[in-house]
Amino acid sequence: MSVAALTLRFVQRELRNRFAGSFSGGLWALFQPLLQLAVTSFVFVHVFNARVPGSAGVGYVPFLALALWPWVAFAEAVLRSTTAIQDNAALIGKVALPREVLVLASVGTSFAIHITGFLAIVMVLALTGEGIHLGGVLPALLLYFPLAALALGIALICASIQVFVRDLVQALGQLLPLLMFGAPVYYDRMQLPERFRAWLDLNPFTFYAESFRALLLDYGTIDVRQLGIAVLVAVVALLIGHWLFRRLDPHFEDFL
Amino acid sequence: MSNVLVEARGLGKAYPKVHRSSDRLRALGRLLFTGTDGDRISVLRDVDLHIRRGESLALIGENGAGKSTLLKLITGVLTPSAGHVKVHGEIGALLELGAGFHPEYSGRDNVVMSAALHGLSGAELQQRLPEIIAFADIGDYIDEPVKHYSSGMVVRLGFAVIAALKPDLLVTDEVLAVGDESFQKKCVQWMKDYLDGGGTLILVSHSMYHVQKLCRHACWLQGGAIAMSGDVFEVSQAYLAYHERKSAPTRESQAARGSLEFSVLDVSLNGMPGESPLMLDSGATLQVRARIYSRDGRVPCLAIGIARSDGTPVYGVSTDMDDCAPQRSADNEYASELEFSDLALLPGSYTVRVHPLDSEGVRVFDTVERGLIVRGASREFGLVRLAHRWKQDDSGSGVA
Repeated sequence: MSVAALTLRFVQRELRNRFAGSFSGGLWALFQPLLQLAVTSFVFVHVFNARVPGSAGVGYVPFLALALWPWVAFAEAVLRSTTAIQDNAALIGKVALPREVLVLASVGTSFAIHITGFLAIVMVLALTGEGIHLGGVLPALLLYFPLAALALGIALICASIQVFVRDLVQALGQLLPLLMFGAPVYYDRMQLPERFRAWLDLNPFTFYAESFRALLLDYGTIDVRQLGIAVLVAVVALLIGHWLFRRLDPHFEDFL
Repeated sequence: MSNVLVEARGLGKAYPKVHRSSDRLRALGRLLFTGTDGDRISVLRDVDLHIRRGESLALIGENGAGKSTLLKLITGVLTPSAGHVKVHGEIGALLELGAGFHPEYSGRDNVVMSAALHGLSGAELQQRLPEIIAFADIGDYIDEPVKHYSSGMVVRLGFAVIAALKPDLLVTDEVLAVGDESFQKKCVQWMKDYLDGGGTLILVSHSMYHVQKLCRHACWLQGGAIAMSGDVFEVSQAYLAYHERKSAPTRESQAARGSLEFSVLDVSLNGMPGESPLMLDSGATLQVRARIYSRDGRVPCLAIGIARSDGTPVYGVSTDMDDCAPQRSADNEYASELEFSDLALLPGSYTVRVHPLDSEGVRVFDTVERGLIVRGASREFGLVRLAHRWKQDDSGSGVA
């Protein structure tokens, strides 16, 4: 059986795992992001009075949602798959299988769930007249590919190191919010003092946050050079992740 | 294509010593930058294994001898730290109870997952699912979560999956032990059919009954190395004998032997001196030759006995009983030889004991033991073969 088919089985299992015991099952995957969107928009728009700078036509809710959902997919994929090897210690000790499948499935599951949520939110925003550019949906989905590749690369690195250093997942739980606030998810680049703006480009997520908005809200533009760099970064992360995983894979059993 | 299915050379496994979390970090650094990883505990070393297609090999040994580690290396669950192993075919492995089963899912779901892990595609699985469920024979439990299963049911399900896969090499690790009588019979029968059909088997079991019934070869692992390998009867008997010896009381210290009035200089069995046990076929001739040192030059008596390795005496005789005496061979030295022709001992492990006695045949001065292993594939019970004859009444039965 191919790696792809095995991965699919693991994705199915993990999806069932996450929604097992809930009444609505898979519907929860759609309901949860909508509820979350409602809460965030209430807090930010009505409590904090947040506004998108510069453009009168763009509401804060779509502005936030279009960057936040890709981020949640990315962050959850990295965080969950970091323990993918450790959590499956029992399986690894008893059955011979290509272990990267476990990481791949974990990343795949997170993205599958949150891309579904993302689409649901885009639809709801479009229906409520938030000025969603529907032609950008397909390119936006394509944009998930380098993002998922980047997440997989980082996940492979983290999952293999987690086997040896169990503190990693705790550290990641602290680091990921820093990375989020270091990217223009809740705010716009223009709201930063001028001298900090260039620093944003060091954050790999900055490109994605801005590009999803550019594609679906016509807010800003996609820089082709930036796209090239993002793809390159994703490929490099994947290569390093693959190399590291392969190198440590024979020793997992000894340390689990 | 070569006929060798499993090929292992110089196979070894060592685990890193990890006591504190800082050791883990250090190990990671070493693995990444130097490719080695420091202090290790060796659990298996220098194992050579050649298994041809159609062979059946039993791995036996004490707990912690490295049997499961060897299986895991063969199946690829573990990576060897020395040597290499190659398997030229598909492996179906049942390494542990409930290998790869998820306790929260139903038996059916677990079968699907387990089959996928063993490389069965969706279509093939659909075709074989009824067969698997029928073999497992656990009734409505198939749709219950596995956590509600008894250990026997888990094994039934695990074995059913493997049976449906019909792998080139079947590897099972002491799983039959938990199944009930009828399921064990079913499994043994299935494995026999599988072997007759050209399958290859590696079995780990503590049940010598299963080992002798299913396997033609055996490999005895001790302390992570192969202690003996070869014909299943020979190896399993030697292994059982080892256990009998282990449970026998240890003989007392011989520190004061030199000052004894009479002591044994050496004992040779069938002309073979030394400490190692003598291997003998059932019905062969056994010659015991002993040299006795006599401190005062007096003629000793010599007693020679055979005991089973757990200490149960089988037979003993001394020179004075038979009215003969050891021959003087040098100053203060006497020798004697005893021959048992057509040895009636049943296959198993025994000890030959030699004791010098004083000239009157009253006081025992010394004891020297030598191991004796009687080979053979007899299924008779007990210690010795007694002369016997089945009386058959020709008129009663139709058999002439």
